[in-house]
Parts: sequence; C-alpha cells; structure tokens
Amino acid sequence: MKESTHRDLIVLFGLTGWALAVPHYGSDFVVSLTLSCLMYAALASSWALFCGATRYISLATSAFFGVGAYASALTLDQLPWLAVVGLGAAVAALVALVMGLAVLHLRGTYFAVLTFGMTELIRHAITYWEKQVTGTVGRVLSVVPERDTVYLTVLALAVGAVAVAIAVRGSRFGLALAGIGADEQRAQTLGVNTRLVKTGGFVLTAAFAGAVGAAMSVRWTYLDPVVVFNPFIGFQTVLIALIGGAATLWGPLLAALVFSLLAETLRLQLPQLYMMSLGLLLILCVLYLPGGLASLRWATFRQWRDDIRDRWRELTTPLKKEAAS
Amino acid sequence: MNGHPLLEAREVTVRFGGLVAVDAVSAAFAAGELVGIIGPNGAGKTTFFNALSGVVAPTDGELFAQGVRLTGAPAHRYAHHGIARTFQTPRVFADLSVAANIDFGLQFAGRGRSASWLLKDEESILNLIGLATQAALPAGAITPSQQRLLEIGMALATRPKLLLLDEVAAGLTEAEINQMAQLIRRLRDELDLTVIWIEHAVTTLLNYVERVIVLHQGKKIADGLPSEVVRNAEVVEAYLGDEMVEPA
Repeated sequence: MKESTHRDLIVLFGLTGWALAVPHYGSDFVVSLTLSCLMYAALASSWALFCGATRYISLATSAFFGVGAYASALTLDQLPWLAVVGLGAAVAALVALVMGLAVLHLRGTYFAVLTFGMTELIRHAITYWEKQVTGTVGRVLSVVPERDTVYLTVLALAVGAVAVAIAVRGSRFGLALAGIGADEQRAQTLGVNTRLVKTGGFVLTAAFAGAVGAAMSVRWTYLDPVVVFNPFIGFQTVLIALIGGAATLWGPLLAALVFSLLAETLRLQLPQLYMMSLGLLLILCVLYLPGGLASLRWATFRQWRDDIRDRWRELTTPLKKEAAS
Repeated sequence: MNGHPLLEAREVTVRFGGLVAVDAVSAAFAAGELVGIIGPNGAGKTTFFNALSGVVAPTDGELFAQGVRLTGAPAHRYAHHGIARTFQTPRVFADLSVAANIDFGLQFAGRGRSASWLLKDEESILNLIGLATQAALPAGAITPSQQRLLEIGMALATRPKLLLLDEVAAGLTEAEINQMAQLIRRLRDELDLTVIWIEHAVTTLLNYVERVIVLHQGKKIADGLPSEVVRNAEVVEAYLGDEMVEPA
C-alpha cells in the first residue's frame, strides 16, 4: 500500500469518528447541517470518482438521486431499511447502464447536455406515469425511520464514496479512468476496453447517487417528481466537485463542507446572495484555481502575491517615470 | 503460429465522405519482417496505419490478426492481439511520470502476456529505450525526441508481436535518427518483432528496411525489396522524382 493511501485512510477514519459523534451532542440544527454536508460529500465524491477522472461531465445526478428516492418511497413500508437503500442504488445503476450505453460514446458538451436531457425525460415520464397510471401527483411518506438511522446511513454512504474513491485511485480501474481522461484513444490502443470502463464508472457513480436519494427521500414527508428530480441537486453536485477539485480525492468533500455552511447560513436569510456566491466561487475557481480548492497550497498564495506585486509594479512604473521627467 | 500471417489486410478501403483515403490496399505481414511504408503527403499512410491498429474502422475490406477476423473491432482488441502503435505526434500522458506511462501498457494489453527479458518490467523497458534517468520526470517535461522514444516504450509495454511506427524519426537530428534506426533493428533482431515503419525521410528508411510498400493516392503501387522498388517506373514518377535515392 502506498504511503498516501495510508494517510488518506487515516484522515477518513478520523473524519468518520467525528461525524459519528455529531448526533450525540449536536442540536437538531447541527445534525441537519451535517446531514446535508454528508449528502453532498457522498454525491460529489462519487461524481468526481468517474466524472473528475475521465472529464465526462455528467448532469444526470438528479436523475439517479430521483429514481433512488422514488424507489424508496414506493417500497418503504414493505421492505427493511437497508433493502430500500440497496434497491435505490440498484435502480439508479440500472438507469445509468441504459443511459451510459446510449450516450457514453459522446464527449464534452454533447455528453453533458444529453445527460441533462435524459434527466428531464425521466422526470416527465414519472410525472406522466403518476398522473395517468396511479392517479396521484405525489406521495406521502407516513412511516419513516428515525433521524439517527437516516444520519448513519448517509454517513456510511459518504464514507463509502470516499473509501471507494481511495481504492479506485490505486487500482487498474483508476488508472484506466485517468488514461481515458488524458487521451481516450491512446488508452484504447494500449489495451483499455474504454467502453466497459466508462460504463462501469458511470454505473458506480449512479449507484451512490441512487442510494443517497433513497436515504434522503424520507426527509421529505411528501415527495413528487419536481422535488426529487430537482436539477439543482445535480448542478450543485457538479459545482461542489469542480470548485473543490474534481480530480482530487478530498476536494469534493472539502467543498461540500464549505457549501453546506454557506447554504445554511445564507439560503434562508439571503437566498440571492447564496446563489451569487456560488457563481462567484465557480468563476474564481475556473480562472485562478483550475485544480479546485484542494489544490490550494501556501505556494499558491505566494504566487498570487507575487503576481499582484508584479502587476502593481508594471502599472506604477510608467507613472513614476512620468513624475520624474 | 498457425500458418496465418501476423497481420493481414484484404482490400482495405477507408473513405471519409467523398474522399477515398485508402483504396483497396491488401498486404500481409509475417513474423520478424521489417517493412517500410512510403508515399507522398496525403498518400494515406497514416490512415492505413489507423485501419491496421483499429483506430479507424475500414469502410470496406477485412483485417485479420493470425487468422482472427478483427474488422470493425475496437482498438483495444487489436492491442490484445499483439498489435501496438505509436502516433506521429507523440501522445504520451503528460501528467504521468515517464515510468507510469510505461506502466500503463504493462497494466493493460501487456498484462499476463509472456515477454522476453528485454520487456520484463518497467525498468528493463526504460533501459531499452534509454530513458532510465528520466523515469521520475513527468512525461510532459522531457524533450520531444525523448517523447518519441517514450511513445515506442509505451507501445513495447503492451508486449506486442507487431509494432507500427508512424514517423518516429521526424524532426530528429542525423545522429538521433541513426540511434532510432539501431533501436528499431534491435527490436526486430532481439525480440523477433514485426516492425512496420512509416517515414517521410525516404533515404533513411530505405537504408534500414528489407521490404517497402509504396502508397500513392490511397493505392498500393509497389511492394518489394527497396532496391527493386526504387527502380519501379510508377514509383519514380509518383514519388521519388528528382529526389531519386541511391539504393542501399
């Protein structure tokens, strides 16, 4: 095992311990804040695992989250809790398999737009089915598990997502994903079955999003397609991963923390300000920190300081000359 | 070996829209051959290579590797059948180290394949291509001529039976070209690799290869010993013209 893997596992272990303790001493507010942080940590880490490495930007997270949530709503009173979460993962994985076979040969904008389009298609299909076949628009969840059960499930999923990301990084699968991200055709000529690897990665990402959707659905007592297929969930996952650093292991988790804090403190009082800070952060990251928050080092700050100083000198030198003459 | 040629193209045609880049080319390559492919710009040399390595599916015609039909199969299957290639512009993984670039081939097509001691592991391949001292550097940081060597190393890491080299000597100095040619000879002699080598610098190529195929406007116009091919009237007219070369 590599030294960095060792370090990553220890950090993960420490964070898990800390998160496990939260429900025991935290207020309801703190627990709910941590829960939303964990949800985005799970979504963004599992998204980055495939999309960050291969640079296939998927906007379908809402679709996987949504089908997971729906699967959970339909089976909650018939199946045990873990089976419900597992079913959410399985249904989302199946959807991803079909979607992946259809769109994974496309790259860049085409891939992103088509994944988004398919998400909308699924949402409208389920709305139609609910209205025409079952005759309802939404579903009321009457029997829901306890707060701590949900919390521990989402915690397990977040830890699972990071642990799987650590494992993938050190594996042939991870190497193949990185090769696809760098030069897909070259990777193929070196023997990577790119179609298989891409589909596998996409399905893995989706399974996590589906499980998170299944677990989180019980937080709403009433759900309908508009709530669970909210495209904002998908966009926010992508933003978190990109701002944190989609190619890094800890970036998505770090950004998930920043975002949930921002969201909880700003969203209720100043909703516009929350959206604006999201946009601003993304722009700043793309321009000045392409590797994301996780690529920040002391040297980065020194570099920025030197750049600003040089720029300042460039601007002021002509002025000084003028003043001297 | 089962009596089939290592790689066989039968009437391979590649069309892009209205343009016929490769026009019904047939060729067979046996084990241990060192073959050159020449032709003027736009003759379809690289497209023919793309077809031979599965990067482009032929519009018409068939491809066989040791009798196994590979027409239309994805490129990784060609790699698993022992067909490796380099690209004209080096396509190394710039962010990965030189050693990790070699490791890539070993992890995929080269995995579990019997290998000569020259291709035993990362280290032996680095020694063979002469990049052992650069092993830890990122592949994007080494010189272009070193990247060409690394391209060959990456292809060798798939432990191939047949190596397709696309203008590996382009832009190299005279001394570097000779080194490159020595390396290619060595690969053939010591690893018993079949090598198919495209080069724009005809003089160099004709000095080293034992058989040469001439492409012109997508068609094969000659296939034989270098000394015979340079005397072929059609070849002289199509390509060599006034830069007529002294046969080796």
